[in-house]
Amino acid sequence: MSTTLRRKPGKRGHAASEASTVEPRDADGADDTKALPAVAAAENGWFRPSAGGWFARAAAWVLLLWLILAVPANVLSPFDFGVSDINLAIAAVIFAIIGLSLNVLIGYAGQLSLGHQAFVGIGAFASAYVVTNLGLGFWFGVVVAAGFGAVQALALGAVSLRVTGLYFALVSLAYGTFAENSLFAVSEITGGEGGKPADRPAGFAEDQMYYFLCLAFLVLVLWLDWRLTRSKGGRALQALRENPRVAASYGIDVRRYTLLAFVVSGTFAGIGGALMAHHQQIIVPGIFDFQLALIFVVMTVVGGLRNRIGVVIGSAFFAGLGEGGGSEGGGFLERTIGLPAEFTGIVIGPFLLLIVITLLPGGIGQLIGPVKDWMLGKRFDRNAGKLKEVEVSDVRA
Amino acid sequence: MSVLDVDAVSIHFGGVKALQNVSLEVGEWEIVGIIGPNGAGKTTLFNCITGFYRPTRGKVRYRGRNVSRLDVHKRAALGIGRTFQNVGLVKGATVLENLRTAQHLETEYNPWFGIAGGLNSFIEEGRITRRGRQLLALLGLSDVADTTVADLPYGMLKRVEIATVLATDPDLLLLDEPGSGMGPEEAHGLGETLLALRKQFGTSIVMIDHHVPLVTQVSDYVYCFNFGEVLAEGAPEHVRNHPEVARAYLGEEPVEGGGAEADAGTESGTAGTLPVVREEEYA
Repeated sequence: MSTTLRRKPGKRGHAASEASTVEPRDADGADDTKALPAVAAAENGWFRPSAGGWFARAAAWVLLLWLILAVPANVLSPFDFGVSDINLAIAAVIFAIIGLSLNVLIGYAGQLSLGHQAFVGIGAFASAYVVTNLGLGFWFGVVVAAGFGAVQALALGAVSLRVTGLYFALVSLAYGTFAENSLFAVSEITGGEGGKPADRPAGFAEDQMYYFLCLAFLVLVLWLDWRLTRSKGGRALQALRENPRVAASYGIDVRRYTLLAFVVSGTFAGIGGALMAHHQQIIVPGIFDFQLALIFVVMTVVGGLRNRIGVVIGSAFFAGLGEGGGSEGGGFLERTIGLPAEFTGIVIGPFLLLIVITLLPGGIGQLIGPVKDWMLGKRFDRNAGKLKEVEVSDVRA
Repeated sequence: MSVLDVDAVSIHFGGVKALQNVSLEVGEWEIVGIIGPNGAGKTTLFNCITGFYRPTRGKVRYRGRNVSRLDVHKRAALGIGRTFQNVGLVKGATVLENLRTAQHLETEYNPWFGIAGGLNSFIEEGRITRRGRQLLALLGLSDVADTTVADLPYGMLKRVEIATVLATDPDLLLLDEPGSGMGPEEAHGLGETLLALRKQFGTSIVMIDHHVPLVTQVSDYVYCFNFGEVLAEGAPEHVRNHPEVARAYLGEEPVEGGGAEADAGTESGTAGTLPVVREEEYA
């Protein structure tokens, strides 16, 4: 009992290596469950860091929190975090939310969406419309944006029940282009070329405050995403992605759960869109083009499908490349080497994508896997979070 | 009332008549074996019973209710559980995770509350995890609970699959070649397990297998299929010694084949697997 109950599921690299070392011992002595917990734990590689180990981990956590919370606020920080920096940070957080949204579709449901700019755009204009035209508050706007995101995702999801794989990717591409050229062209909704004003909520008008607001939403989305993967819905999605027939034989309603994935993804995208609108304060329809959809897909895959921390880092990275969309001063590369921001992602993205597909199937998530496990109190293991290959179900799309 | 009543089911794929006028009955607590050469329509019958295929003609009744038009997941909710010929498991997940997935219908919270992180979902997750571990312990699989399915050998996967289908809490268990990839001794052990499971879970079982000794060991009644039709049915010994059955498997003359098969079955006992190549089936 003690041996199996104490191990945590979900860490593939760990579980596999431990099981292989444990097996011979278990094979000859069936009664080994009586072993003292401490002894059994030690033999299984159950690990308790030393005092120094705890200190190093705590230091790493403090450093991380300092980077995320203190540096952007210019508190306890030697750096001067300027206007363009904070705008980039806000864009990074918003992109992380959008990346997590796409991760639900591509990673969990196995549906490649090439029209995600429409998901985000609809959320952005819904919120802007609610705040500017209806005069209702920001909070109401976000809820409406999430709702619109969910509803339009549901409609596209209904299509995906009939059309799958590559053909669905084509449909989603057509959908994105359709939204771009019809919906976003209605000036009543989008304000035309000049864009639609979208004020920030009272108390969060300042860049720093708005950054923390976005961060709060990211935490909310991370929580929902985490609970999704650890609950009934996420497992159902995993089963039907890998094998719809097996899923159905477990009593999983394949249609219902495919739609659930779309609704969750649409909700996240709607929230991301609303935050994007109020970040820029005047949202123009021109930014929601196909190139943006492509960047969304690339940043999610490079971040590492089904790896939420990887997706967050990947998305933030691409936001930093200058895809922040209208952030003043452009991206990092534009300011340093002068590569125009709008091209950076599209130039660097494909190279990174190639590396991920051939060498690093787990994306950035795989790279940081060892560090993440270490920070969560496990022994440092170079192979933690390592994936053997890109899953067939991913390539299928 | 019989648990399962397959009533004159026919299914045609274009010009191919995969099943013709097949009738089959499974009583309460009964173990029914299905044998037959490749392409005889055994798995097709399973697919008709579970709902992956809709029969062209005929009806499938489950506890007196006509389920011929129900979706797969609804039939699963009624208590029809099945395994697949080439292992129906989520390969990227651990064994325990598979057990949790299989308890989908047992998990009593709304998926949306699960996503929101409602307190009840945490409690339920704990409960189904414990139940999953109990099932694994029952089948002697506790040691591999945290191993990824893709890293396990084939014979063990078959046992894991039985654990997962039991986790769905079935009333009627359809096992598609549970003994494939197992040696004679392992197959015998599996037979014992199945008999014990029937007692413990009170399920009726329909089993497709090529291990004739295994089928004889556990079955109360055996059907032999050939070319989509029931070739012979009856008590295990009766079907095994049926001359037509041997001819269907070995493609020999009825008289010669019958003798050869009976010898092989009774004398050696270990050489129980009939010389057939496994059919390709997409699970």
